[in-house]
Amino acid sequence: MRNYRKSTIIFFATGLWVLLVTGFGSRASVPEPQQRFEAANNLYNQSKYTAAAGIYQELITEGYNEPSLYFNAGNASYKAGKTGTAIYNYEKALQLSPDNAAVKHNLAIANQKVSGYVQELPLVFFQQWWQQLQHLHRANGWAIGCLIFFWLLVAGFLLNTYLPGWKNKFLRWGNYALGALFLLYVIMAVDAYLIANDHSAGIVMSSNIRAKAAPDDNSKDTFEVGEGMKVQITDATNDFCKITLADGKSGWIACTNIKRL
Amino acid sequence: MMDRYCIRKCIYSLLLCIGLVAGANAQEFRFTTTVSSNTVMMDEPFQIQFMLENGTNVSSFTPPSFKDFDVLQGPSQMQGQSIFNGRRSEYYALTYTLQPKHVGNFTIAGAQARVNGNMVKSNPVLIEVKKGNTQAMQPSPGPASGYPPHRAQQGGDDLPEGVLKKGEDVTEKLRKNIFLKVDVDKTNLYEGDQITATYKLYTRLPTNSSVTKVPAFKGFSAKDIELPNPPQATEERVNGVPYKVFTIRKTLLFPLQSGALELDPVEVDNQVRLVKVVSNNNKKNRSHDPFEDFFNDPAFKDPFFDDFFNRPEVEYQDVPYKIQSNPIKITVKPLPVDGRPLSFNGAVGKFNMTATVDKTSLSTDEALTLKVVVSGEGNVNLLNSPKIDIPSGFEKYDPKVTDDIEKNSNPLSGSRTFEYVLMPQEAGDHTIPAVEFSFFDPASNGFKTLRSTPFVIHISQGKRIKQDKQDFSVGKNELVKNDTGILTWTKQQSWLIRSPWFYILLLLPLLVVAGIVVYKRRADYKTTNAALLKHRYANKVALKRLELAARYLKDGKDKSFYEETSRAVWGYLSNKLKIPMADLSKQLVQDKLSARQINGSNTNNLFELIDNCEMALYAPAHNNHKMQGTYEQAVNVISNLEDALKN
Repeated sequence: MRNYRKSTIIFFATGLWVLLVTGFGSRASVPEPQQRFEAANNLYNQSKYTAAAGIYQELITEGYNEPSLYFNAGNASYKAGKTGTAIYNYEKALQLSPDNAAVKHNLAIANQKVSGYVQELPLVFFQQWWQQLQHLHRANGWAIGCLIFFWLLVAGFLLNTYLPGWKNKFLRWGNYALGALFLLYVIMAVDAYLIANDHSAGIVMSSNIRAKAAPDDNSKDTFEVGEGMKVQITDATNDFCKITLADGKSGWIACTNIKRL
Repeated sequence: MMDRYCIRKCIYSLLLCIGLVAGANAQEFRFTTTVSSNTVMMDEPFQIQFMLENGTNVSSFTPPSFKDFDVLQGPSQMQGQSIFNGRRSEYYALTYTLQPKHVGNFTIAGAQARVNGNMVKSNPVLIEVKKGNTQAMQPSPGPASGYPPHRAQQGGDDLPEGVLKKGEDVTEKLRKNIFLKVDVDKTNLYEGDQITATYKLYTRLPTNSSVTKVPAFKGFSAKDIELPNPPQATEERVNGVPYKVFTIRKTLLFPLQSGALELDPVEVDNQVRLVKVVSNNNKKNRSHDPFEDFFNDPAFKDPFFDDFFNRPEVEYQDVPYKIQSNPIKITVKPLPVDGRPLSFNGAVGKFNMTATVDKTSLSTDEALTLKVVVSGEGNVNLLNSPKIDIPSGFEKYDPKVTDDIEKNSNPLSGSRTFEYVLMPQEAGDHTIPAVEFSFFDPASNGFKTLRSTPFVIHISQGKRIKQDKQDFSVGKNELVKNDTGILTWTKQQSWLIRSPWFYILLLLPLLVVAGIVVYKRRADYKTTNAALLKHRYANKVALKRLELAARYLKDGKDKSFYEETSRAVWGYLSNKLKIPMADLSKQLVQDKLSARQINGSNTNNLFELIDNCEMALYAPAHNNHKMQGTYEQAVNVISNLEDALKN
C-alpha cells in the first residue's frame, strides 16, 4: 500500500513539472518588446502617428497579444487617418478585454468616421455573463485549469476508492465538485478556442465599395460599404465574400477588401 | 431688284480686281466703264458703272447720254476706300440701271470727269440689244424700279426698304427676305469637344424682331458669348444677295453625352414694316407706274434728288411674321477607351497644368494649400478636380474652385484653379505624390497626361494637438490616451488545447489510475485469487499425485506409494478447504467438513484412508494387495469429496 501512494506522488510531481515547462516556459520576459512599445508611445506623443502605428503593428505581427498593444495601435492608426485599421485594432483589443471602457470609447469615436455605420445590438444579459466568465482566464488558462482539476479529480477518486482511511462523504462530494469544475473548464477552453478561431467577422479596409447582389463583378450594386464597417462574413467563394451588416443588409464584396478579425 | 444685285456683284468683283491690281500697282489711276452684260434682251434692264479709281480732286463728272436707253434707276453713287493686301485705294463710282428702247447695236460713250484739273474719259462700251419676250416685264417695269436710291449711300451697304408692290404676295416676300440660319462650325465631334453655334437673323426688310423661344441645348453644356447690345448688324451675302445679319445668339457648346444630339430651333417674332404703294388718283393713268413721271422729272438728273417717301402715295404697314430656324443634327462620338489614362476625368481640349504648394515646411497647427491651375483651351468650365492622393497624415477638404475664363473667347479658354486645403495631422516628412492631370486632345486625337513634381513637406509638431470634429458633447471626440504601462508580453503563439501536451497530461492520471488498478489486481491475486485457483484445481492436483502413487505401486515401492498418497489427500484437503499446509490436522479438517455439512461415510472413509497411510508409513509391511486397496480408496475418497464439496 505504501508503494502505491509513493507512485502517485511521483506522478503528480512530474505532472507539475511538465506544466511549468509548457505553461510558463514561454513567459521568459524579454525587455526588448517593451522598449519598442515605449518608443512607439513616444512617437505617438510627437504626433508621428504613422511611424508609431508601424511599430505597434510589428509587435502585433510578432505575435504579442496584448489588449493595450492593440489599443495603442488603434489610436495611432486613427490619428494617421486609417479608420479601417484603427477599428480593426480596437475590435481586436475588445476581443481580448471586452469590458475595457477606453477601447469602447475610442472605437465609438472611430465609428463616427465610418460612412453608413450601423450600431450593433448590445448583447443580452446572459451573453454578457458568459462573456465575462469567458474572460476570467486567458484561453490557455482554461486549458491549464482543465488539467489541474482533472488531476485533482483523479487524485480524489483514488484516495476515495483505495485508501480506507480517506473514505468519507466529504471527499466524495469534493470529487463531484471537482468533476463539475473540470467539465466547466473543458467547455470554456473549447469555447475560447472556437471564439478565437472564429473569423466570420471582419472589418472593411477600403472605402466606397459597392456590395453586389451576386458574387460577380457584373452583377448589380446593392449598397455601399464604407471603410471601417464591421461585417459578418456568411459565405465566401474564391474571390467574393458574402457580408451581412448589423442592420441585416447583405451583399457580396471582394474578399480582398475585408480583414477578418 | 435683280439689277441692284448685279451692280453689287460688279462692284465687288471690281473691288477685287482693284485690290489685286493695287497690290501690284498702288495708287494707279483708272477710269473705267463696265456693264453687267454686253448682250441684253429688249426688256432686260442692265447696269452700267463708271468707276474712278484713285482719282484725286474730282471736280466734275459728266455721264454720257443714254439716248437709246431708258434710265430705270440711278445714278447711284458710291464712294469708298478699300484696303487690299495693305494697299489702300479709293474709288468713286456711278451706276445706272438702263433698259434698252430699241433693238440693235449701240455704243455708249465713256463718261467724262475732271481729275486733278485734267479731263479724263472712260472707255466706251458696246451693247447689243436683242429682241426678247416683252410680256413678262410689261405689268411691272422692272422689279428694282419700285424704290428709289437711298440718299445716303455709304460703301454700297444700302439695303432695300420693304416696298410692297401691288399684286405682290406678302408671305412670299417675307419668306424671301427674312429668315433664320444656324451656323455650326462642326457637326461631328468628340464628347466634350467644343462647337460654336451661331443663330443669325437675315433680313432685307426693316423689322422689329424679338426672340420668343431660345434653344435649350439639351445634352450640351452651353456658354453664351456676349453680344453687343443693341445688336449690330453686319452684312452678308447669300447667293449674291446682301442681307443685314443680326446675330441672335452665339454659344459655345460642349456635348455632355455621345450619340446623335439636336440643336433646338430658335423662334423669332418679327414685325415687318412694309411700304405699301397706294393708287394715286392724281395720276392720269392708274395702271401707269407712279414713278414714271418722277423719272421723267428734270430733278431726276440730279443724283441727290428728293426723298421718295415725302410723297403721299405710300403708306406703312406692320406685318407680323414668325420664323423658326431649322434644327441641326450633331453627331457626338464617345471618347476612345483604349489609352485612356487613369487620371482622365473629362477634360477635352489643350491644357497646361501647374501645381504648387504654398509652403514646404510647417507645423501641425498650420494649414497647407495645394494649388492646381489648369489653363488652356477646351471645356474649362467643365473641368473636374484632379484626383490627388493625399498621404494619410493629412486631412483633406474639398477643393475650392475658382474660374478665370476669358470673356467671349472662342474657343473657350481660360483657367480653373483648384485649391486643396490640407491640414497636417502628423509630424514628420510627408510626400504628396505628383499631381496628374489628363486630357483628350481632339486635334491630335489622343490623350495627354501632365504631371507635376511630387512635393516633400516637412511637418513639425505644433503647440497644440489639433482637435477633431466637434460633436458638442463634452469629451466625446477626444481619444482616450494610449496605454503606457509595462506589458506582460505574452504571445498567443500556441493553443494549449491543441498541443499534444494537453492530451498527454489528461491521459497521464488515467494511466496512473490504470497502473494502480493493475497493481491492486496483482496484490489481490496474491491473496484471494491464488487460493481460489488452488481450490479450483485441487482435484486435478490430487489426481496427478495419485497417478504418481500408482506408478510407485507398480514398481513395488511401498514407502513412496504411501507418502505420495498421503500427500495427495492432505494437499487436496488443504487446497479445497483453504487451510494452510502447516495448520492441517484431523480435527481442523473434521470441523471444516462438518461446517460444510459433509459427514458420514465420506468423512469416515477419509479418516480411515489417512490412518491407513500413517500406519503403513510407520509400520511398513509389504502387502501388495493392501496397497492396491489403499489406492482405490484414495481415488474414491477424493472423487466423493469433490462431488460433495461442489455442492
